[in-house]
Amino acid sequence: MTRPPSPPFLCAVAVAGLAAAGCTILLALTSDHIPEPGVHAALQVWGLLGFVLAGVVAWWRRPDSRFGLLMILAGGVWFLSCLSSANLAVPLTLGLAFDLVPAVVFLHVFLAFPSGRLEHRSERALVMVGYFTALGAQLAAMTLGGFGPDNLLELSPEPGTSGLIQRAQLVVLSALCVVGVGILLVRRRDPGRPLRRSLGLLIDTFAVALVMLAFLFLSAASGMVSGQVPFETIRRITFFAVGLGPFVFLAGLLHARLARSAVGDLILELRPNPSPKGLRDALAHALRDPSLTLVYWLPEFGTYAGLDGRPVALPSPETGVATTLIDRDGVPVAALLHDGWLAEEPELLAAVTAAAAIALENARLDVELRARLQELRGSRARMVEVADKERQRLERNLHDGAQQRLVALSLELSLLGSELSSDKGAQERLDRAQRQIAVSLSELREIARGIHPAVLTAHGLGVALEQLAALAPVRVRLAVETEGRLPEALEVAAYYLVCETLTNVGKYAQASSATVDVSRSNSRVLIEVTDDGIGGADTERGGGLRGIADRVEALDGRLRIWSPLGGGTRIRAEIPCAP
Amino acid sequence: MRAVIAEDSVLLREGVAGLLRAADFDVVGCCDTADDLMLKVRSYAPDVAIVDIRLPPTHQDEGLRAALEIRAKHPSVGVLVLSQYLEVGLALKLFTHTAAGAGYLLKDRISEVAEFTSAVRRIAEGGSAIDPIIVSTLVSRHRDDDPLAALTPREREVLVLMAEGRSNQGIADKLVITLRGVEKYVSTIFNKLGLPSAGSDSRRVLAVLLYLRADAPTAREHQKPAL
Repeated sequence: MTRPPSPPFLCAVAVAGLAAAGCTILLALTSDHIPEPGVHAALQVWGLLGFVLAGVVAWWRRPDSRFGLLMILAGGVWFLSCLSSANLAVPLTLGLAFDLVPAVVFLHVFLAFPSGRLEHRSERALVMVGYFTALGAQLAAMTLGGFGPDNLLELSPEPGTSGLIQRAQLVVLSALCVVGVGILLVRRRDPGRPLRRSLGLLIDTFAVALVMLAFLFLSAASGMVSGQVPFETIRRITFFAVGLGPFVFLAGLLHARLARSAVGDLILELRPNPSPKGLRDALAHALRDPSLTLVYWLPEFGTYAGLDGRPVALPSPETGVATTLIDRDGVPVAALLHDGWLAEEPELLAAVTAAAAIALENARLDVELRARLQELRGSRARMVEVADKERQRLERNLHDGAQQRLVALSLELSLLGSELSSDKGAQERLDRAQRQIAVSLSELREIARGIHPAVLTAHGLGVALEQLAALAPVRVRLAVETEGRLPEALEVAAYYLVCETLTNVGKYAQASSATVDVSRSNSRVLIEVTDDGIGGADTERGGGLRGIADRVEALDGRLRIWSPLGGGTRIRAEIPCAP
Repeated sequence: MRAVIAEDSVLLREGVAGLLRAADFDVVGCCDTADDLMLKVRSYAPDVAIVDIRLPPTHQDEGLRAALEIRAKHPSVGVLVLSQYLEVGLALKLFTHTAAGAGYLLKDRISEVAEFTSAVRRIAEGGSAIDPIIVSTLVSRHRDDDPLAALTPREREVLVLMAEGRSNQGIADKLVITLRGVEKYVSTIFNKLGLPSAGSDSRRVLAVLLYLRADAPTAREHQKPAL
């Protein structure tokens, strides 16, 4: 970005502008050939100061654009034309020579908005013709006289020819203004792209000023005389309209500054991590550009893509659509395709782009976090699964090994006993041994069940819960309504949940009955255990519940506990389960 | 009495076959898979099939499925399921419609030879047998407003033996009381519990079982059909 000119310099320009205005007022008030010098001076100063001061502000705020400089120059040229009010011959002659030039400078300024440059060759040609007509033809006419006795350039007085030239000049200039209006109107009507409001107003002001200039020139060409009421009225309106341009421009700048506060709103709006569509809409709103398009860079495809995923080619600048790239550490992330006019509000664009970059970065972090969470959840589920498999293997070994052997051993002892029926002492010892084996078997059964409820894997949740309900310390109403078998991990989690909960009911709840419901709806399995006990269960108390919650969460489920004092306890797990 | 045995542990299979032969059973087939069992049941039309609930290849529910299939397709064949699981739910599954000609015993019972062979014989004759531990699990559940509380200890004992599938004579032998005494107890119990008097022993078993599990009446897990 170009550095703005130094403040002292800009101040100097502004002071020069003020001095020129003062000079203009002085010249007008002391003039011997100006009708109504007060009104005249006021209108001149209105335009002159407007252009110079707006130019200074524009140059300061938008150093990249030559538009400010151009406005200051326009003010300067206007001042030169004001010298025609002077009584002295030299300034008067200078003023007369530049009399029509301001009109062309205005045309130049209006067409060069907002960059300060004429983008098209036709526009440049138009302005060149204007300058030639306004200055070249004016000098020629002045050599032929018709501008009063103080015209120093007068060589051979031929007022008739001079008048013809002047009339031709006015017609040509008026035509140029009309063409300028046409160009502005074409820009104004940009099909399919709604125009930003402050810009529309500015262009309208420029167009009205050009229309008035054309009208003024035609009026002069048709023989209206300076000093008469109709002509003076037209002139005043024209001056007023021309001088309005800089003020509308300043208002636009102010509007742009105000718009930056919209960036704050934008950031607030973006806080809850918007969807791509939401982000686009928020950006469009903040930039006040309904035509805004947000495209994402897809590194794997090496292209930008719209929200629908289709590849998008970045438009060339001639289309009137400008592109602002958003990158992170030099790597493209996204791009904004927006109205070319936004170049006129670079601060807003920069702020909005920065906000978008933050939002996109947030979205990226969010996606990354989710991916990590997913990974974590997956690894937790895998850990539970591995542990379960290991428990299953242990239980199986117990069953196939120790338990079978003990049963066979007990049978063997029993058969042996029947052969030794004569020996009472041996018989008794055998019986004792058998009873011990029975106790061992019973203990082993409990241990095996604690390690892994094999009946669950083999016969399903319904059968396994039936035993839990039968063993429960309180009366249990059991309802298992599930279609077919559930995924093993889910069955195991549900089993342990019910097991742990019923154990807690027995230990703490002082309940007289409990219910266990397992049901399936859509893509979830609901497991709910309630009791009519004293409530007030604190989740830390049943330490086993923490492990159950881990199992439930590893399956992406949720465990909730309601336990108001005196109101029983309700534990409810929701676990997703593909239908 | 003709029996077939499906058990994948050689030790137990041979042990059971041995003690059945010693009790005058004709062991017409021994095997270690459910498919083999079905084949032997079809071929030999035994009076009773003794089935390990956990059979190869997966050691999941093959044994129980085979047992249920025999009960459905060959109602004349009694089925005794041997299990290491102390599971009320499994026993109830086996007795879904009738307790006649069905039994569910823990493997531990094998070593109580006389009890075991008499249970096998009962099942072969169309009676039933439920493991005492399962019955006592059901009976011993704590309930506040329990009608079982109204039973005397002796009546409780009779109830348990009844639920195990024993006949009146069996109960009389076990408790060393007269047959008439048992009949009196049984009618008192049925009155106290409000149960309609049942005809056969196995109907009596089912009635008592369903009564005992009455708190869990809606376990309706729709598994894929066992048959």
